[in-house]
Amino acid sequence: MELTDKLEILADAAKYDASCASSAAPKRSSEGKDGIGATNGMGICHSYTPDGRCVSLLKILLTNFCIYDCQYCVNRRTSNVPRARFSVQEVVKLTVDFYLRNYIEGLFLSSGIIQSADYTMEQLVAIARELREVHQFRGYIHLKTIPDADPALIEAAGRYADRLSVNIELPTQSSIERLAPEKSVHTIKLAMGAIRLKLDEKADEPKAPRFAPAGQSTQMIVGADASDDQRILSTAETLYGSYKLKRVYYSAFSPIPHSPKSVPLAPPPLLREHRLYQADFLLRGYGFQVSELLPQSGNLALDIDPKLAWALANRQHFPLDLNRADLAMIARVPGIGLLNAKRIVELRRMRRVRYADLSRLRCSMKKVAPFVITADYTPARDTTPSETLRRAMAERQQQLALWPELQAA
Amino acid sequence: MSGAASALDWPAGPVLARDFAEWREAARRLIVRRVPPESIQWMQHAGDADLLSDVLADAGAANDAGAESAPHAAPALRVPRALMAMLECAACFRAIDRWAFLYRVLWRWQRGEQEVLSMADEDGARLQAMAKAVRREEHDMHAYLRFRERPEDKGAPRFVAWFEPAQDVLPQVAQHFVRRMGRISWMIATPDATVLWDGAQLHHAAALLRGPADIEDEGEALWLTYYRSIFNPARLNADLMHSHITTRFWRHLSEAAVVPEMVAQAATGARRTGQSKAVGRRSGTTIPVSAEQAQPEREQPRNLDECRRCELWQNATQAVAGQGPRHAKIMLVGEQPGDQEDLAGKPFVGPAGELLEWAMEQAGMDRRQVYITNAVKHFKWELRGKRRLHKTPAQREVLACHYWLQEELNQIGPGVVVALGSTALKSVLQDGGVNLKDYMDEPVQHEGRWVVATYHPAYALRVPDAQAREDARAAIVAALRTAWRLTQGGAA
Repeated sequence: MELTDKLEILADAAKYDASCASSAAPKRSSEGKDGIGATNGMGICHSYTPDGRCVSLLKILLTNFCIYDCQYCVNRRTSNVPRARFSVQEVVKLTVDFYLRNYIEGLFLSSGIIQSADYTMEQLVAIARELREVHQFRGYIHLKTIPDADPALIEAAGRYADRLSVNIELPTQSSIERLAPEKSVHTIKLAMGAIRLKLDEKADEPKAPRFAPAGQSTQMIVGADASDDQRILSTAETLYGSYKLKRVYYSAFSPIPHSPKSVPLAPPPLLREHRLYQADFLLRGYGFQVSELLPQSGNLALDIDPKLAWALANRQHFPLDLNRADLAMIARVPGIGLLNAKRIVELRRMRRVRYADLSRLRCSMKKVAPFVITADYTPARDTTPSETLRRAMAERQQQLALWPELQAA
Repeated sequence: MSGAASALDWPAGPVLARDFAEWREAARRLIVRRVPPESIQWMQHAGDADLLSDVLADAGAANDAGAESAPHAAPALRVPRALMAMLECAACFRAIDRWAFLYRVLWRWQRGEQEVLSMADEDGARLQAMAKAVRREEHDMHAYLRFRERPEDKGAPRFVAWFEPAQDVLPQVAQHFVRRMGRISWMIATPDATVLWDGAQLHHAAALLRGPADIEDEGEALWLTYYRSIFNPARLNADLMHSHITTRFWRHLSEAAVVPEMVAQAATGARRTGQSKAVGRRSGTTIPVSAEQAQPEREQPRNLDECRRCELWQNATQAVAGQGPRHAKIMLVGEQPGDQEDLAGKPFVGPAGELLEWAMEQAGMDRRQVYITNAVKHFKWELRGKRRLHKTPAQREVLACHYWLQEELNQIGPGVVVALGSTALKSVLQDGGVNLKDYMDEPVQHEGRWVVATYHPAYALRVPDAQAREDARAAIVAALRTAWRLTQGGAA
């Protein structure tokens, strides 16, 4: 099989993994050195495909042969898909060639399970080792970690990779048992725990060998099972707290060819995924807790963003006096982001904040207006019921639901 | 020049600033001489230098004179580094009045108008917008510049790129590619300047190309294969793609040629899947492996790990069983595993564990005869910011987990049990109403064993008052010593 055929099959097989970040690596440079590649902590997206997703890494599977039978996966053993396998040299060459042309920041490598977890992990580590040690490649490497692999292999993976990830895939143990019979939540958690321990060790011992300096991440599939957003976000919150994940990725379930009956054959819930990312951002950056965003079981609102939904449900905090409130609270005002909250606090040191300042800071005035008090402004509509505000501020959903007739199907 | 230098001494001629360094030098002198922004005319190019040479010479002389007398004439110019960096960045923005504008910002800053840096100020907003546009352009050039490889026999440069930046960012972008490409030679051509890297040094040149170099590069075909395959037709959203990449960049991206076809294909067919059509057309294979063969060989999970007597297992990594010899004479019972124990799967490995180690040593205890465990086997916690904070287990959880403690007591059969803290004591005595303080002075007999009660080591670490910490540590050591003596057949 030609290299181009393999690439066609194994990139197609890898597209379902949402994580493509090339950020958070330490500074590295090849100036005046053999080898190639540099990182500076910032990720770079080198292109975008017509699904709106970025291309930042060469995202491929080493092979899509797989002995597991995860129902949501196009590469499961009972799926009738074309199969291929790269050699170590082929992956290395593709990575280097693409990197030199400035198509990518590095490599994201995953694989179907062949023979055993250990054998598969060894293959992945061998490629990363070859890139780093033989080719002196200093670009970004993200390795998928097979949960059941020997801890020594995970340690080796961390020596060569910037980021490691173990995918939890589904938010509840019962869903994993039902849809991924060969996987075990217990070993997934243990693998994440082992990676976090290694990361902590490295943080305490700067002289210890390199270990995944860009940390670890995971992915959850949205819409393959019946879990609601509260369940998904609670699982994310638990994983963030327990394993210090850099990111949890959410991947709207895309239907697969010859779909088994156990998973839906519906268009991917893109807007729901988008709201989950927004909520996740509030958990990571704004100090929100899941219990605030979703006090009961259920899903996030689709017509308004989660921050606005929280503000409308908690009018007792508003209107907020921007000349007195603290930074964290200002950042909770709909239409004011973290950066503008900081700017408002800085401006406050020089003079009183006025209404026009907010528009100069490019805050979303339509959103901000009912929620703030400034030196020269008090909302006239403070008594307006939340329902009315919600109707006025709701986003038209056509933005993300591209094929309404299909979304309804 | 007198000490009272003023704007009137400044010759009314244009000031030349071909780059930021020249502007900075001139601006320093002008600020020190308190020349207001509106009385300066800045020039970007020395194109008409012949006509202006006299004026410039005068200006230069005046500059020098000003500089010499500056220390006496006015306070030296002190500009924070962050502001200078901001001005330098904004200076790359292509605007006809860039030098005049930057000077006005500097002038206002000197007069104490600090809000000139705020987005809420008109000048501040423009300065920020300029810097942002420059950073954006740098980023886009890092992202969308594409090298093509030249045939091996053509020699250096091995890689060539064409790019049309909208701001003056070529110098810093060249540095980025120096770091990226190592010793490999390359050239970046733009409509008004060129940089060449020979593998060791950068060379700046005037414009050498008028457009993209016409090079056949096989790597490009592979890239398009990848681009087509990594796209998920079920998620088609071309508007989102266009919102990310500005139109002007598409002209020189090879993938632009295949986008319309990809969009058209994805938009047909109602039940679209994530798989690309090209892959779907190939013949497939299933893997003939039975479910039994596919099952990974895992150690049989311990019963403890499958315990569902309470809800705590859900947010914990694993159950943490006790550790120690099978027939230890003494059993230490803590409350529950903490953050570190939950990850490592062993009891008392965190800071409280260290204190316990120390206390056992002080008490002359032989570690080899001690079994260490917890009343509750799963870590109960709540999130505070980004950290898992220990949460005291509820009575029902202690009760549910007593089953496992009883199992350990039955197996090990220790003569002495040390209850570390209130939760451990409640579990050992199977009485939710007991008070730790009531049991700390004397060992008690319970179900044929001695029970010694003391503080949990975590309390000795946590209690704010230094004296109380000292007392707690001493109490723990004393209790362990008592317990050890009891195992040696000593009196209570």
